[in-house]
Amino acid sequence: MGKSRRKQKVIPPPQLPPDVPEEDIEFSDEDLKYVEENTEYARFVSRLDTAAINKQCGGRVKTVEDKYEEERSKKKTIQEEKGNGEILVDPVDVLPVKTLDGKLHYRTESKKSKLAEAETNEAEKDVLDDDNILNKSQRREKAKKSKREAKKHEKDLPNDILLEEETPQAALLAEVKEELSAEETFENKKNKLAELGMLLLSDPEANIKSLKEMLDICKDENTKIVKLGFLSLLAVFKDIIPGYRIRLPTEKELEMKISKEVKKTRFYESTLLKAYKSYLQKLIIFEKLSVYNQIANRCLCTLLEAVPHFNYRDNLLIAVVRNISSPDEVVRRLCCSTIRSLFSNEGKHGGELTVQAVRLIADHVKAQNCQLHPNAIEVFMSIRFDEDIGKRDKEDEHNKKYKKNNKRKAQEEQNQVQENERKKSKQEMMSKIRDEVSADYRGVTYEPDAKERRKMQTETLSAVFETYFRILRNTMYTIGERTEENPTSNPGAFGSHPLLAPCLDGLAKFTQQLDLDYIGDLMNYLKKLASSSSVSNNTKQKNSKLLTVSERLRCCLVAFKVMRSNLNALNVDLQDFFVQLYNLILEYRPGRDSGVVLAESLKIMLCDDRHQDMQKAAAFVKRLATFALCFGCAESMSALVTLKTLLQKNVKCRNLLENDAGGGSVSGSIAKYQPYATDPNLSGALATVLWELSLLSKHYHPAISTMATTVSNMNTSQSQTFLSAVTPQQAFADFSLVKESFELKNESRKLNKRKRESLPEEAKNAPEIDMVKLSKKLKENFTILRDIKEDERERMELQSEKKKPLKKQNNVVKKKLKNPKSKKKI
Amino acid sequence: MRPLDETETTVVFEKLFKFVGNNLKKIVENPSDEGPESTPGSYCFRLQKNRVYYVSEALVKRATNISRKNLVSFGTCIGKYTHAGSFHLTIMSLNILAANAKHKVWLKPTSEMSFLYGNHVLKGGLGRITDSIVPGDGVVVFSMSDVPLGFGIAAKSTQDCRTLDPNGIVVLHQADIGEYLRGEDDL
Repeated sequence: MGKSRRKQKVIPPPQLPPDVPEEDIEFSDEDLKYVEENTEYARFVSRLDTAAINKQCGGRVKTVEDKYEEERSKKKTIQEEKGNGEILVDPVDVLPVKTLDGKLHYRTESKKSKLAEAETNEAEKDVLDDDNILNKSQRREKAKKSKREAKKHEKDLPNDILLEEETPQAALLAEVKEELSAEETFENKKNKLAELGMLLLSDPEANIKSLKEMLDICKDENTKIVKLGFLSLLAVFKDIIPGYRIRLPTEKELEMKISKEVKKTRFYESTLLKAYKSYLQKLIIFEKLSVYNQIANRCLCTLLEAVPHFNYRDNLLIAVVRNISSPDEVVRRLCCSTIRSLFSNEGKHGGELTVQAVRLIADHVKAQNCQLHPNAIEVFMSIRFDEDIGKRDKEDEHNKKYKKNNKRKAQEEQNQVQENERKKSKQEMMSKIRDEVSADYRGVTYEPDAKERRKMQTETLSAVFETYFRILRNTMYTIGERTEENPTSNPGAFGSHPLLAPCLDGLAKFTQQLDLDYIGDLMNYLKKLASSSSVSNNTKQKNSKLLTVSERLRCCLVAFKVMRSNLNALNVDLQDFFVQLYNLILEYRPGRDSGVVLAESLKIMLCDDRHQDMQKAAAFVKRLATFALCFGCAESMSALVTLKTLLQKNVKCRNLLENDAGGGSVSGSIAKYQPYATDPNLSGALATVLWELSLLSKHYHPAISTMATTVSNMNTSQSQTFLSAVTPQQAFADFSLVKESFELKNESRKLNKRKRESLPEEAKNAPEIDMVKLSKKLKENFTILRDIKEDERERMELQSEKKKPLKKQNNVVKKKLKNPKSKKKI
Repeated sequence: MRPLDETETTVVFEKLFKFVGNNLKKIVENPSDEGPESTPGSYCFRLQKNRVYYVSEALVKRATNISRKNLVSFGTCIGKYTHAGSFHLTIMSLNILAANAKHKVWLKPTSEMSFLYGNHVLKGGLGRITDSIVPGDGVVVFSMSDVPLGFGIAAKSTQDCRTLDPNGIVVLHQADIGEYLRGEDDL
């Protein structure tokens, strides 16, 4: 008995109808026996006042949890009452309208959502028209569906009108009520979404129908709900979409008798597909509305990334590519990263989507007349081209040939022996069957064979290069227009040549794949682009359509990369590009143009080239020295590094380091240096002297001054000095203003060991963060001054050491004496 | 000695243009420091006994003192008219061409001698080549240490050179500095 009581206690008090628990209670056999044996004892039970006991028990056992639960349930009931009450306000009017397919339409809702629905319907139809991948049966189905929906509307409409006519006041009341309870409905819907989603995830086959309900929720007028609906549907779809493509059964197949299970799966698949389709349509429509733009795009992108093998991927792809250069940065990033991942994970879709995506982007670029965001083209960089595809194929072919030969031999033998005819036929049968099986296998697997993959790759490549060439041509046209007339056309939203930079990068990357026949054209284009503004300098027009210096430098760079990767055996001298570089060095301005590009081009064009003409090298040496005088540390350091390597490679150019002008025997036909010559070969630089170096050796920056002195100490007789390991790029990076801030840590790494030892300590000694800016700057200046003085002193010492090696000991003593003095001075 | 007439000028200039391109202007406008005049004169072309000379104006003035019959040579001989009436550039023009050359070819040290004996430049001997050479362009041939060796006419474009086999002819020989020895009498 006590047991029964306990059980009763456990059940939360409010939901405690007196008779239910009795059934639930399980009695052990022992108990039953006992009771049966001693019925007398149990008699009191019948006399018990259960209600009272319950009350007591409830009162006694109520814990905090119970209380909490009670309150919640109370609230719930109140809510329910409210909900009922709102309907009860005017039971006739506010009754929901039940449509044919079992949807409930509340009046106010239907009033607003009807418009939206009509819109969506129309849009859906539009999409349908566009939908070129639909087969006939699908189309028919769609037509039916739309008809049905149209009917539904016809039915809905009069109802609503009637209702409105009858009781406008009541409707108003209802509206107010609904507004009040909007939050609650929101909560309810949210909960419902979650419930449905969970159901679907737990057992998709059984609950596949609830997809439709979720879709219906997405028709809500509340944007929050719609967004939530989209996202939850996205999660569901991502989870339940199978790893294969669904093929709807043909009519013939439909007629065939099938087992229950097959029927079930068919139903499941078709519902899934339908739901997925309508979901996509909705997404594609909503993606155009500004409110849902981001969310719809996120859904589209995630779907494309997660299930690129599934049906309707083409539509997904189209939608994503359309937004690849969206002005909204979030959306653009999303789309780009999605397409990037498409390119990098080709295994998921067998490479077909890559081809399509590239094609689509190419078309997009064409349609937009190359006015897109650079990101749109940058995605090409993550395409990978596998060069081994063909090789494997060829090997296979080779094997096959071999086999065929074997067969032929075998056949000959068979011809000789007639008995073997039967065997032969048998063999043929076998081979036939084998072929069929392999064909079937190929049809089933998504992995395309090497030939196909190769074909697709070629297609991709051609599309990519088509895009690149289109951009180049377009840029050239715009420049050409500009020089001919003076157009007032304003540049697009993304600047004048938004796609040029990524296009050049891509060209440099994929140049290995480029057909040799196109290289000539490419070089011509690049040459024209690189030299584009030399014409405009004469006219002196300031126009935004001009290529910037860094863009032109990039053109030169790409040309060099193309040549280097393709014509490696043949050493081609790109004279025109050298001329461009020679002039561009003068046009460079540190703030406006990218110094990194300049450093890179110095590296690739001057340092890496195996062989330079003497005249040209001398001209570049002179110009770089001039350049080093004009700009900041980073620029002059990279220039000096280049200058050094040039001098090391070209022994004759070291005549520039001599003190007598005129150049002597090497100074060609031009007797006088012409600093303004545009052609390095005609500047006659060998006739001049590198007086810049002596100025540079007094540079405020210690590293540069030491560099300049080492360069100027280079001897003409030395044939080979050590090659410096630093590249101009590295030098630029080390000394660029952002990094530098005069910490003097990484600067004098290789150049001056002594300094390296002494300076970091000082840097450490200085309080790092706490000091005010002013004091910091003072300190910096102090160290610079000190450096310069130290430098000079050291140089003096070195010189004196050279002169008087015998007095070395004395010098050391002197140094010791000097050191404290000099410090005091400072 | 007389200045070139119009047809002669065009013929000579066309020949030179093949080699130097737009730098022809520089050849014509090249200021000369010869002579005692304070203002620099310029260079001009003169015809003397079927040969075309590139001479500074100062020298031309002085050369008028010598009769045509007795004037053997002056300035730089850049070419001559053959009996058939066509104009040929001679090896003496190499200095002018090399200084202003548009298209260049550098020879490997191994094939220098072959060229200096009057053979064509083969692809195998090619050390380096400027891009954008079109068949028919004039090309100046250099050694790898930038010493001009001679000149010729391009037989193949730069692009074609890549696919050419090593024995294919890249530059057709016209003149080389070996002629100073071989053809001492003609010069």
